Amino acid sequence: MISQSFLQLNTIFISILIEAIPFVVIGVFISAFIQMFISENMLSRIIPKNRYASVVMGTCMGALFPACECGIVPITERLVKKRVPLHSAIAFMLAGPIINPVVIFATYVAFGNSWQMVIYRCGLAIVVSIFVGIMVSFIFKEDQLKKFIDQKLKKYRDHHDYYGHHHDHDHHHEHSKPTILAKIKGTFDHAIDEFFSVGKYLVFGAFIASTLQTYVKTSTLLTFGDTKVMAILVMIVLAFIMSLCSEADAFVASSFRGTFGPSALTAFLVFGAMVDIKNLIMMLSTFKKRFVVTLIFLITLSVFVGALFIG
Amino acid sequence: MFRIIILFGFTYLFLHLHLTGDISKYINMKYSYLSFTMIFVLGFLTVYQIIKWNNEGNHKHEHHHDIDCGHDHSKDENTWYKKVVVYGLLLFPLVTGTFLPIATLDSNVVKAKGFHFAEIDNDKDQYANHQILRPNTSLYYGSDEYRKMLASDLKKYSAKNNLYLDDDNFLRALETIYNYPGNFSNKQVSIEGFVYHGDSLKKNQLFLFRFGIIHCIADAGVFGMMVDFPQNVSYNDDEWIRAEGTLSTIYYQPFKQTIPYLKVTKWQKVDKPKNPYAYRKY
Repeated sequence: MISQSFLQLNTIFISILIEAIPFVVIGVFISAFIQMFISENMLSRIIPKNRYASVVMGTCMGALFPACECGIVPITERLVKKRVPLHSAIAFMLAGPIINPVVIFATYVAFGNSWQMVIYRCGLAIVVSIFVGIMVSFIFKEDQLKKFIDQKLKKYRDHHDYYGHHHDHDHHHEHSKPTILAKIKGTFDHAIDEFFSVGKYLVFGAFIASTLQTYVKTSTLLTFGDTKVMAILVMIVLAFIMSLCSEADAFVASSFRGTFGPSALTAFLVFGAMVDIKNLIMMLSTFKKRFVVTLIFLITLSVFVGALFIG
Repeated sequence: MFRIIILFGFTYLFLHLHLTGDISKYINMKYSYLSFTMIFVLGFLTVYQIIKWNNEGNHKHEHHHDIDCGHDHSKDENTWYKKVVVYGLLLFPLVTGTFLPIATLDSNVVKAKGFHFAEIDNDKDQYANHQILRPNTSLYYGSDEYRKMLASDLKKYSAKNNLYLDDDNFLRALETIYNYPGNFSNKQVSIEGFVYHGDSLKKNQLFLFRFGIIHCIADAGVFGMMVDFPQNVSYNDDEWIRAEGTLSTIYYQPFKQTIPYLKVTKWQKVDKPKNPYAYRKY
């Protein structure tokens, strides 16, 4: 017989998937759309050459996409492939899940219709994404995508020096502009490819998250949070383990108000929307390991230090 | 081929959950439109993939196709063992989601997942969480709007002399009670929930809880009230009870604060409700 706790684990697991899949599907479609319809030239014209300006630009672009932390990874990957500077794309990836209307509204409501936490959360998110973006621009010169993607991309670029491509299944190599229909078809092809590519990591991440939720006594974690510093660290770890969607985490955070001050709660809300188990595994599938480790270190550091200044 | 099966599987899973209504055991129905849309999107992708598969069968140039199109991912599943891992991983939730029974969160989850709960049983912990029983109390009373909202809730729920907590008003009304216990004292309140025993309770006392769901089961938290019976009772954890009585307050040692509780006059064991969860509506 299957134990009751495994059934509960499975229920949590399926529920995370049901919650996340719509957002991932939106993410892969946006990514596929960018691939087919937006050229590198268009992007390079929009994005400033200056590193600081381009990081700020990335942060602002994040505000335009109502994506959550799992939907945004494929979009970020696509942007990097489209030769958007890495630091700009990363700023986009970090700001996107927090600075958007849905999340802002959820945070506002969760904390008893108060703007205070909204301001803390968005403020810290902007600071972190700009800081991490700038650091990334100094540390990493290349795009940091995984090798095999690089190589394929190279082959692809050798073939095409114009933007995008069309799916000529008939294999006539017509280097003319693809028709709209072919582009739409290509969008679906890419969306499906990416759904499978991202999907397996989502499933894996959701399973680990639900296992931890079921078997790890997070309650013991809370007893460590008795100083401000420890409280912030505990909430960062908790955000990572719980792997909540950035649209739901504010309500969970608000239930901790009796225990922790605004600094720890802000850390929870900012860190959890940027890094958690499921999107970490998705990032590892896209970027080089060293880069992901450095990235998470930078995020943790800046969220931690930033939160110390709050409250 | 496998892709068709998996896409179809996910389409079916979403369709199945919506048709049977089981979707409400996974997510807050407020967000059900998202997964409902997925039936059509994934269904369309399934059909699209079938057509594509058929077309590809007619042209045997797949290797060429990969390089030419810079398909970054289409080669992920290029060896048989990778295929097994990738498709196996994606099939796993389809199988467990379709065939395994859906578990209901109960007192076991409260204990295992219950970061809110260790403190209840722990007298020494002065940082005990006061929030568990109290949905969405605000430390930030500064906001006028919040006060206004509370005031309107207060008017709504305290106007009558008796308050009946049901699926719809559970979270909001409970929040109001915790915010203004004074306004509810000596009023009749009726609450339903599953039994949970805290260590420092007397034999005639227990907690009645329900899980409140914001988005999906993964973010569920537990909400409820302490109830005090006129005689000793021996209910087990997870038995469902509807209890009615007058509201009063009591100093609760583990929390080191005064909390509202129900002095029960009438109670009965009830069946587990068809929908055991309370959903956040706003």
